[in-house]
Amino acid sequence: MSFIATDIHVRYGPREALRRVSLTARAGELTAIVGPNGSGKSTLMGALTGTLPFDGSVTLNGQDITRQRPWQLAAQRAVLPQDSRLAFDFPVIEVVRMGLQAGTAGDRPEVPMQALARVGLAHYATRSFHALSGGEAQRVMLARVLAQVWEPVADGQPRWLLLDEPVSSLDIGHQLQVMEIARDFARSGGGVIAVMHDLNLTALYADRIAVLAGGDRLAFGPPTEVLTDGTLSRAYGCALRVSAPPPQHVPYILPHAATP
Amino acid sequence: MASLSDIALAPSRPARLHLWLAAALVLAALASLQVGAADVTLSALAGKFMRGEALSPLERLILWDIRLPRLAMGALVGAGLAVSGAILQGLFRNPLADPGIVGVTAGGMLGAILAIVLGGLLPAAHLARTGGQLVPLAAFLGSWGATLLLYRVSTRGGRTSVATMLLAGIALAALAGALAGILIYMADDQQLRDLTFWNMGSLAGASWPKVLAAGPLVALALGAAMTLGRGLNGLAMGEATAAHIGINVQRLKTAAVLCAAAATGAAVAIAGAIGFVGIVVPHLVRLAAGPDHRTLLPASALLGATLLTLADVIARVIVAPAELPIGIVTAVLGAPVFLWILLRRKGGLA
Ligand SMILES: Nc1ncnc2c1ncn2[C@@H]1O[C@H](COP(=O)(O)OP(=O)(O)OP(=O)(O)O)[C@@H](O)[C@H]1O
Ligand SMILES: [Mg+2]
Repeated sequence: MSFIATDIHVRYGPREALRRVSLTARAGELTAIVGPNGSGKSTLMGALTGTLPFDGSVTLNGQDITRQRPWQLAAQRAVLPQDSRLAFDFPVIEVVRMGLQAGTAGDRPEVPMQALARVGLAHYATRSFHALSGGEAQRVMLARVLAQVWEPVADGQPRWLLLDEPVSSLDIGHQLQVMEIARDFARSGGGVIAVMHDLNLTALYADRIAVLAGGDRLAFGPPTEVLTDGTLSRAYGCALRVSAPPPQHVPYILPHAATP
Repeated sequence: MASLSDIALAPSRPARLHLWLAAALVLAALASLQVGAADVTLSALAGKFMRGEALSPLERLILWDIRLPRLAMGALVGAGLAVSGAILQGLFRNPLADPGIVGVTAGGMLGAILAIVLGGLLPAAHLARTGGQLVPLAAFLGSWGATLLLYRVSTRGGRTSVATMLLAGIALAALAGALAGILIYMADDQQLRDLTFWNMGSLAGASWPKVLAAGPLVALALGAAMTLGRGLNGLAMGEATAAHIGINVQRLKTAAVLCAAAATGAAVAIAGAIGFVGIVVPHLVRLAAGPDHRTLLPASALLGATLLTLADVIARVIVAPAELPIGIVTAVLGAPVFLWILLRRKGGLA
């Protein structure tokens, strides 16, 4: 079971934001999307979630997403947006509870508290959302997303987490915590697609990486294949050096031409 | 620290709030039936009732044909405007949105002015056929026409842009104002007087036919509005996220616009332009009970009905035996509250 995007083409007016990009994300894996600012990562997420009109096709667990109703999609995948805005000041627990709307865990009132506990914010349940710091708000939104697909596998079908920069405003400890949550979800049979900026964190946690640049897919594959000096330097337009220090030989990226 | 049991208990709080508000509405209704220009009091009537005496024709007239329809109309208008405000604030994701901003009120005003000024030009036979309800009818059609126009303008390829709707509403209100200006220029003295009163909003023309004309429409809109709570809550996170949690966003927006237009249109048609109810009432409810629309919508209906009934009592007693247009009372009480809301807001208008 997988999340398959084929030849995704997106235009904003005359500008092409994605040119025939394809991507297959498998359940049980964490698939990362990386690339410079404006390379089309959020746009690709918009196509995968059905938010943006696009040419090409996206299938989720074998079904064309454009033929499904919002609640059918919501039962199968949850989406963490790049920004966590909220127009009215709800208590934190109510924000998390909004994840239950699609009904996957609707009859399980304990799930929102457990989801908050998972992101380490159980004691924030009655706090006001607007009084949270940026990172706390992002983690509360992650709890909402987790509550929506609380079971990584249900009815024999994997559930999916689509995360747009899930660690962008988190400190290093919470970055690791959130990446662990995402990997656990995948290891339990669910699927994760995450837009990432931190290449070292990506190398550590991703099973597959898609590199976007200027609306094209430059590379797609496991970290050791994709994270190379050539690909990264071409994608980001700056000199980068990848090494794989022992004992684990996980790729490690350093700026090459950094002048001290 | 919140435990699971605290959170499980939470749903009983809205129920209690609604009970309190319903009780307040009953008290306001009693006050409204009690006061008036004529010296007929509820206690005297209750005494007669206990002694088994019949009401005099005058007492019956005052209670049944004057005070009751007025009470009913005030409650309908108050509930309709307050719920419309709550819906539009949810839709525009802005606590300062108001029925006035989506052109509903402006369209209604234009319709009413057209009817007042040009109605005199109609042949008497045509006029008679409208049963003297030409102004409310025109106001209602104006409100709906404006809303549908806005909705068409802001919907492209099946998607409604809420931001376009907001801006187009401002443009439409300005246009309606200019047209109204031309008509006012043409109007004679009596028509100007009618216009001024209509613009200030008033319950003075209350009658059963008006209540029966607007009642079902407002009731339908309110009933439908009560199903929008979950959707509007989700919309607080933005349209994309609302869709991601399973809400049919386009259907929600259409339903919200229709409910608000029906309730406001009906209210404006029978009572004219009454300001501030749509902003102040939902805000007060949010202060007391938080922003959850599942509580906010019914509570706004109850509080709106209560506050407008009370405002009408004030309008009737403050310069008795004359009365003030109720729009003046709501403006005098509402404008300072509105300013206070603005000044209290932390993040500015964003
Ligand atoms: N609504 C829009 N209208 C027009 N152009 C847009 C719109 N949204 C994005 N773009 C453009 O499309 C390109 C891809 O944008 P996208 O948001 O997908 O980038 P991104 O890879 O997510 O970048 P970042 O790392 O900054 O989040 C950019 O050049 C951007 O300017
Ligand atoms: Mg982005």
